[in-house]
Amino acid sequence: MKDFDVCIIGSGAGGGPVALTLAEAGYSVVVLEKGPWFTTQDFYKDELACCRRSVYTPKLHDEQHVIEEQDDNGGWQATATSESGWDFWNGNCVGGSSNFMSGFFHRLKPVDFHQLSEFGSIDGANRVDWPISYEDLAPYYDKVERVVGVSGQYKPHKNIEPRKGDFPYPPTAEHAIASWIDTACDELGYHSLRVPRAILSKPQGARRSCEYSGYCGSYGCASDAKGSSRVALLDRAVATGRCEIRPYSKVTRLISDAKGKISKLEYTNAKDDNKEHDKKYLDARIYVVACQAIETSRLLLHSTGPAFPDGLANNSGQVGKNLLFSAGGSGSGDFDFSDLTEDKLNQLKQMGPFVNRALDDWYTINDAKFGKQPVKGGIVEFLLAHPNPTGKANGLKWDDGQLLWGKPYKRKLENWFRTDRSLKFEVFNDWLPTDDCFVSLDSSIKDRWATPVAKVRIGYHEHDLKIGSYLTDKGEQVLKQMGAVRINSSVSGSPPANLVAGGCRFGNNVKTSVLDADCRAHEVENLFVTDGSFMPTGGSVPYTWTIYANAFRVAEKIKTL
Amino acid sequence: MNRKPRPAGKSSCSSKLLSDWHRHLITRRQFLLAAAGSSLAALFPLSSDAAAEHRAKPAATPDPWPVIDAVQQHLFPTEAEAPGAREINALGYLQFVITDNTLDTEDREFISKGVVWLEDMTFQMHKTSFINLDEKDREKVLRRIASSEAGENWISTLLLYIVEALLTDPVYGGNTKQLGWKWLQHVPGYPRPPRDKTFLRLLS
Repeated sequence: MKDFDVCIIGSGAGGGPVALTLAEAGYSVVVLEKGPWFTTQDFYKDELACCRRSVYTPKLHDEQHVIEEQDDNGGWQATATSESGWDFWNGNCVGGSSNFMSGFFHRLKPVDFHQLSEFGSIDGANRVDWPISYEDLAPYYDKVERVVGVSGQYKPHKNIEPRKGDFPYPPTAEHAIASWIDTACDELGYHSLRVPRAILSKPQGARRSCEYSGYCGSYGCASDAKGSSRVALLDRAVATGRCEIRPYSKVTRLISDAKGKISKLEYTNAKDDNKEHDKKYLDARIYVVACQAIETSRLLLHSTGPAFPDGLANNSGQVGKNLLFSAGGSGSGDFDFSDLTEDKLNQLKQMGPFVNRALDDWYTINDAKFGKQPVKGGIVEFLLAHPNPTGKANGLKWDDGQLLWGKPYKRKLENWFRTDRSLKFEVFNDWLPTDDCFVSLDSSIKDRWATPVAKVRIGYHEHDLKIGSYLTDKGEQVLKQMGAVRINSSVSGSPPANLVAGGCRFGNNVKTSVLDADCRAHEVENLFVTDGSFMPTGGSVPYTWTIYANAFRVAEKIKTL
Repeated sequence: MNRKPRPAGKSSCSSKLLSDWHRHLITRRQFLLAAAGSSLAALFPLSSDAAAEHRAKPAATPDPWPVIDAVQQHLFPTEAEAPGAREINALGYLQFVITDNTLDTEDREFISKGVVWLEDMTFQMHKTSFINLDEKDREKVLRRIASSEAGENWISTLLLYIVEALLTDPVYGGNTKQLGWKWLQHVPGYPRPPRDKTFLRLLS
């Protein structure tokens, strides 16, 4: 007799849909989460908690990563994140990083599922087609709209992905600057689109609709409007009476037998004040790993066994390979209050509603600049500056590389905070999979449970920067057309640590992929992976909607076993 | 924010090997090591004669807080139309930071050990404590300190906690009567954290 039918490791966007689907179907489910179980009553608009202290993420001296960057001579330089402060954790608590997302929700487009066939290969990139199509995932994108709650409005559009009907929730309230963007795009011949949000515009059961505090991304939601895995899925899974969530449960190892099947897992109490680290064991019929891409690969690599000397499900050597981030960049422009009419000024100063505007005109780029064939492009997303005033003020203390203080610093603060407002844009394009971006185990640094930490090589493909530059130019054009001043942008190969996927790519070839088309490990019959690890190519949008949808899809597959 | 950025430094750096955060880390480490070994002069822009004299001097003021108070008030002065370090309780806030064991011990040590260095340098330059200097001489000492990377990093750290005192929620002890928010016309988000839901309580 197994302890549970299904054991899910990780409670974020990859774990929640499986827990809810299977608990509702009558399975006994346990979810092991390393972090604490915060409730909605714990979330306030507190910049120190969200953004300046390790409250929702581990202290880097306790748990960290080692990041390998290419140096000027082509070698690789490894730096522990406890030294650099470059934090690759994104939310370690029940619900994971979905508690802190901005909820910009985009579906992948059909072309993302067959990039190799559509655009061909690129030297130095491991581009492949997916083993499933957009049509396979579309019903689950629909399901996310209903279950998690996605607010939006269907409008025919040149690049709109196929979908059935309108959204279940109308668009969230929108900031007046959205209409400024629309006007500028019309004048330029671009097609601005209304971005769906995983934020409720109307109540759903006990979840209240958005209260428009203006503090959303990076902050936990105080009204349950944000569609986190915790409130949208896990609370409901627990309510079935068949799902147990165990916070502070750090899984240290998946133990497999000689036949290559997982027999049990080892975990420990992860509370800070627990110094014993006593080992506990648990068994289940099916194991689902969803720890976010880097940690999923790390757990498998560390879980060696008699049939897997190089890590669980890794006789192909593919675990950890082809890690993906999101390529692109960002830019901004300012609107000086002194240049605006009183009416426009009042519009601009509005706090709370969302911008909800993006451009996908160049999702596929047809431009002679890139040759005769179309190339894969991406999107430009517009947003108001993130409400982290301390972080902003701290950055302003530098003036051309010199520290500024006293009255000159105070005048600069007044100028930044009181005389204009910035509109930002962020560009998302594919982070091409390469041999220079992967997860391995560090040979010397361990976490506080004496387990090797993940070493992450973060090499990027130069092609990504060319596409990113092309798209940031478009973003700058829109800001210029809007009348913004001090417009600037940057494109970088430095990865955003919160937009991560790959490492256990799915595919039909056992030698070149870790998972099959159902996200079941080729080599381990009772192992599924349902976070973003499965993605062999990333697409040019944030990943969360796709992770949710795929996890719902895989849960249905598990029900057929 | 959708794309989580890499930690920003004071400027971009052409060498990937020595990005800004990395350089700051190294200077902080060097400083703490030097402080531990009583060879501060190796790090700071003192003449060799002054360095020799420095080594002969006893440790500076045993209570660092009056000195930190003076430094904060110089870095963020009180003005008729704008609050300074005193009005936003930057000193009380920093005392909270120093006792917050959720921060790295090394970071907290860096703040207090830097005071010793500041006092030593002030003594070399002016034969008295920093708190006895006028505004002009305080500026000279701080600019001198900022000319070394470790010193620049120390002042940068003090400025960081001044702006935290200016713009974080008053529940943490700074931003008295929301003076920082009011001065910069910043609209806070709601709900704001009550006393029993500060991040320290959440972590306990």
